[in-house]
Amino acid sequence: MSRFFATGTDSESESSSEEEQVQRQPAAAFTFSDDEEETKRVVRSTKEKRYEELTNLIKQIRNHKKIKDMSSMLSSFEDLTRAYQKALPVIAKEESGVTPRFYVRILAELDDFINEVWEDKDGRKNMNKNNSKSLGSMRQKLRKYIKDFEKELTTFREAPDGDDEDEAEEEDVDSDDSDAKPVKKTVPKLEQEKAAKKPAAGDDGDESDDSMDWGSDSDTSSSEDEEDIYTNIRDRFLKKPEKEEEETKREKKERRDRGKRREEEDDGGVWETVRGGVAIPSEKPKMFAKDAEIDVNLVVRKLSEIMAARGKKRTDRREQIELLHELQNISELHNLGPAINFKIRLAIIAAIFDYTPKVSDAMKPEYWTKLLDRIPDAMDVLLANPDMQVAEEILEEHEQFDQEPYQIRGCVLTVVERLDEEFVKLLKECDPHSNEYVQRLKDEIKVTQIIDKVQTYIEHQNKPAEICRIYLRKIEHLYYKLDGTVLEKREGRMPADTVTSVDVMERLCKYVYAKDNTDRLRTRAILCHIYHHALHDNWFEARDLVLMSHLQETIQHSDPSTQILYNRTMANLGLCAFRHANIKDSHSCLVDLMMTGKVKELLAQGLLPQRQRERSKEQEKIEKQRQMPFHMHINRELLECVYLVSAMLIEIPPMAANDEKEVRRRINSENFYRLLRGSERQNLVGPPESMRDHIVAASKAMRNGDWSLCYNFIVNETMNRKVWNNCAQADNVRTMLKRLIQEESLRTYLFTYSNVYDSISMEKLSQMFELDKPVVHSVISKMIINKELIASINEPSQSVVMHHDLRPRKLQSITLQLAEKVSNLFELNERRLNGEQRRQRLW
Amino acid sequence: MAKFDLTHKLGQYLDRHLVFPLLEFLSAKQIYDETELLQGKLDILSKTNMLDYAIDIRKQLHPNAEVPEDLKIKRAQVVAELTELQNEVELVYKLMQNEEVMQTMETMRDPKVLLSHLTKEYDFKIDMMDNLVKFAKYRYECGNYSVSTSYLYFYMLIMPPTDKNYLNVLWGKLASEILVQNWDTALDDLNKLREFIDSNAFANPLQVLQQRTWLIHWSLFVFFNHAKGRDHIIEMFLYRPNYLNAIQTMCPHILRYLATAVVINRSRRNALNALKDLVKVIQQESYTYRDPITEFLEHLYVNFDFDGARQKLNECQEVLYNDFFLIACLDEFVENARLMIFETFCRIHQCITIGMLAEKLNMNPEEAECWIVNLIRNARLDAKIDSKMGHVVMGAQPASPYQVLLERVDTLSVRSEALQNLIERKVKAKSQDVSFSHVHFDFNLIMPVLTEPMEQ
Repeated sequence: MSRFFATGTDSESESSSEEEQVQRQPAAAFTFSDDEEETKRVVRSTKEKRYEELTNLIKQIRNHKKIKDMSSMLSSFEDLTRAYQKALPVIAKEESGVTPRFYVRILAELDDFINEVWEDKDGRKNMNKNNSKSLGSMRQKLRKYIKDFEKELTTFREAPDGDDEDEAEEEDVDSDDSDAKPVKKTVPKLEQEKAAKKPAAGDDGDESDDSMDWGSDSDTSSSEDEEDIYTNIRDRFLKKPEKEEEETKREKKERRDRGKRREEEDDGGVWETVRGGVAIPSEKPKMFAKDAEIDVNLVVRKLSEIMAARGKKRTDRREQIELLHELQNISELHNLGPAINFKIRLAIIAAIFDYTPKVSDAMKPEYWTKLLDRIPDAMDVLLANPDMQVAEEILEEHEQFDQEPYQIRGCVLTVVERLDEEFVKLLKECDPHSNEYVQRLKDEIKVTQIIDKVQTYIEHQNKPAEICRIYLRKIEHLYYKLDGTVLEKREGRMPADTVTSVDVMERLCKYVYAKDNTDRLRTRAILCHIYHHALHDNWFEARDLVLMSHLQETIQHSDPSTQILYNRTMANLGLCAFRHANIKDSHSCLVDLMMTGKVKELLAQGLLPQRQRERSKEQEKIEKQRQMPFHMHINRELLECVYLVSAMLIEIPPMAANDEKEVRRRINSENFYRLLRGSERQNLVGPPESMRDHIVAASKAMRNGDWSLCYNFIVNETMNRKVWNNCAQADNVRTMLKRLIQEESLRTYLFTYSNVYDSISMEKLSQMFELDKPVVHSVISKMIINKELIASINEPSQSVVMHHDLRPRKLQSITLQLAEKVSNLFELNERRLNGEQRRQRLW
Repeated sequence: MAKFDLTHKLGQYLDRHLVFPLLEFLSAKQIYDETELLQGKLDILSKTNMLDYAIDIRKQLHPNAEVPEDLKIKRAQVVAELTELQNEVELVYKLMQNEEVMQTMETMRDPKVLLSHLTKEYDFKIDMMDNLVKFAKYRYECGNYSVSTSYLYFYMLIMPPTDKNYLNVLWGKLASEILVQNWDTALDDLNKLREFIDSNAFANPLQVLQQRTWLIHWSLFVFFNHAKGRDHIIEMFLYRPNYLNAIQTMCPHILRYLATAVVINRSRRNALNALKDLVKVIQQESYTYRDPITEFLEHLYVNFDFDGARQKLNECQEVLYNDFFLIACLDEFVENARLMIFETFCRIHQCITIGMLAEKLNMNPEEAECWIVNLIRNARLDAKIDSKMGHVVMGAQPASPYQVLLERVDTLSVRSEALQNLIERKVKAKSQDVSFSHVHFDFNLIMPVLTEPMEQ
């Protein structure tokens, strides 16, 4: 966005976005007929032209909005979208694709307006038929359209929020001089128009000369526009003084504010000057009169007065923080003891938390850093005085500040929990690929340090319920991180008594298992524990924990964030099982996740694109809150690849054994089949590109029993880069895969080609599949025992003899199937009867 | 061989008195240092009242040292206390001596009626029971197990299961029965105890788990000494999920005993299924526990690695020889294990050289040939020996589809008939009752089953 343009729209118009109304005649908009446009094209750049078109349409819409003319508004809106569509290439070129601010604004305005009208049920009833019909379609169209601009809209909506206060101040000032108002209102509009034209002039190489610019503009306008130009010029003259006036006003106000603050800072003891800015009951200055004896009681009373203003609408939150700091200084100056000091510090922290008004929004970074400074300080005070008691249960009346043991009402645990939540929010706010994210992530060390401090304090207090909570916080900071020392310890490169994160987890989790009685904490602790084990390749421990906890049965009834944790855990467990060559377990862990095709959503690693308005705004907001911060994400490509490879290893041999048409087996991995069938349907199959292509190609190779081709499709340059390099212990995994592919290919080969052989030498097979002879023997033995392969081994000649006469013929196999079904039916009946009996016994 | 010795693991879950037989066995085997074992015994004894025994061992350990005074004093104390307790339960003792009373007690089933009867007739008071239990316990501590069994038997006849001592008494009874080697009653007590643990919901699941673990360990004594024990051990350890869970979580080493039981029970019905289930469990727990016996099964049924199985069988013999519980079934185990190897081998192979077979079975060729000939003669194996080539040629081919079909359908009609009869009987019995219309519904469902096999 060109700089001038940016300032033109942003600073000016945004600050007054709400009250902004277009004053001019709507007719003015119609003056630009098509013909004129064509004549203009000669002079103006496309950008200028498109933008003007847009702004005009916007103007129209605003007018319609005022008179609630829905049907015209609808048509104007349609025009607007069309015009925007036309302007898109220009925008892409000139502003690198960023949607212009004014366009976003009109969308936001429209959205608000439509919602407002829609909510107003009485008003809707009174509308004439045409209008209400248009309203409905307008609402739908707008909603659909806005979806594309979601991101811009949210940033736009956030920005005005942030400037809330300035705006409010400005409003105050504005209301003073009401006569100047109508004129002023048009100003931003004009500014914007000018801004739109300005860069165009710049294109002509004439940047500096303002009047020239205007001259050219008036030249291009036809005579019909004269009125318009006239008003323009008039406004131009009017504008400057107005703006100046406004500026001076603002300056004055600022100066006043600043002065006020400076005074606060300068003389700490004198409190009379402060009161003007704060909405605090007015008795308090007496207590801090210059000669007043400042003692604990006084400070406490003062503190409670300040805190009384907390959460009220007119309270200036920033000033409240300042006040509290001031109070802290005084108390420190007069040496009032650690208890009161801590109490004030707690209040400051609470005030900083309060500063961000919305729960859904992240706090501002500067306040965040403040928090990170304040909380450790407060905790240090607390830890330095072990006999200080901070608890929620202590009533205000029982607080003791002047003598030991100190009793303070408050809860450090909630502070930490809040801090942690804020931290996650902040992270989610940042773009995960930016430097900012990394910077923010560095704060995690501080957060964990704070948690540690609180933990020492709470352990000292010895309240199991609270210890459990703080432990869980710690666990949740720990569980997704890979500790290298664990692996080193396992390989004996570290002394056996090194304390690794696995040990820490073990200790924390066991405490939670034993002492927790809320169930939720325990569930989360178990899940984190499993995750951590799985991450460090402790497959058996992880599996046993899963089996013992029986979480699979109850997890549906828990809250969404725990369910997400469960999904993440299962995903990781699947990966761990895969690394341990437990293909079946891996598959069963992942299949539930993969079957839905909503992995992204299930792991809370991003929202699915919206289809037909499946969820409302509120829902979306909630879902956004649930998202995992980026550094905790699990690699989805790896996940899917592991799932597909496991499916391939499991499904391909049985597919070769059974004719698909003959036996409709219960299909376990629907996704994999779909993928295979999809590629079969294609007339022309190109060389594989994506990860899925590779696996499909490998599956086909395996079906032909060509293990080396299959292996080459699974493990190669591209796949390494795409998938395997992201996998822990990639080399082990690759060798494991090789072995498994060889074995499964051997099985597939035998299934597919056994009818061509009368006998086959095991020597030959072991050469073909590059497997050791005992392995070949073992694989074949297994197949014979399980009656998958109708053959037997001739030991003296080391060969497998096929029994072709025993292979069921078509009729026989069908009869066998029938027999099986019948016996199934019989068993069903038997069971049913037994069940009946059991029920009778119960009666 | 100390590597595979489980005594220290088992000991954790056994009563002090139950450990003695194990220690005695170990000292006979001379795997460990004798003095260490004696010292261990002494430590165990220090908490019991078996002072005479303690003095004996002390003498063995330190032949020259005098018996310390405090032991003597303690002995006197114990004797004094014992007589005191005995006086307190005098009445019960008399009752127990009275044949007539005992007979009426045994015939009377209801504890409440029995209690009132006793109170009326013999001046019996319920408070005495506490003392009785105390006395029995004391007797037990002194190593006088048979006395305590009879007292505890008396207790169990009278008291309802809700009594606070009931669980302790059950345990005490079981331990005493085991120690007097009264296996029949021990088995009864074991079942009683199991029912009690399973039915009675302990407040704490952890406690239940602990009780079950103990029971599993104590039951080993019974199972490997009672004639029917081997059936029961499979039934209890493998097919009661609670106990299988307990084994998996608390004491995977019990898998050794389970595996042995399954192997020696090979010829029984359902042995094949048991084997399959067991192998699954073994595989699952292979990371926490493995010994030659479990590995043998794993080699044979998971990897079909006959060489490995053979090696393990060798080791198994030694392990079994040194195991208190398993030494009795050593021969049986080896024989069955060989048969298992051979059977699996035959199922896979068509033609085997005798030399190879002998090697796999840990025999020399002549012995092996003899063994196979015996098998063939006893018609346990359908095979012929090609003596010129030194081959065994399997006669039994895998079943043809036709046979498979027959097998599958064969029993179906009989079983269906049985089912039909059952239902008909039921319907007749309940024909007046309208509410049993659902039985008719079932009946309808079964009809197609009955007809279909006929059509074939």
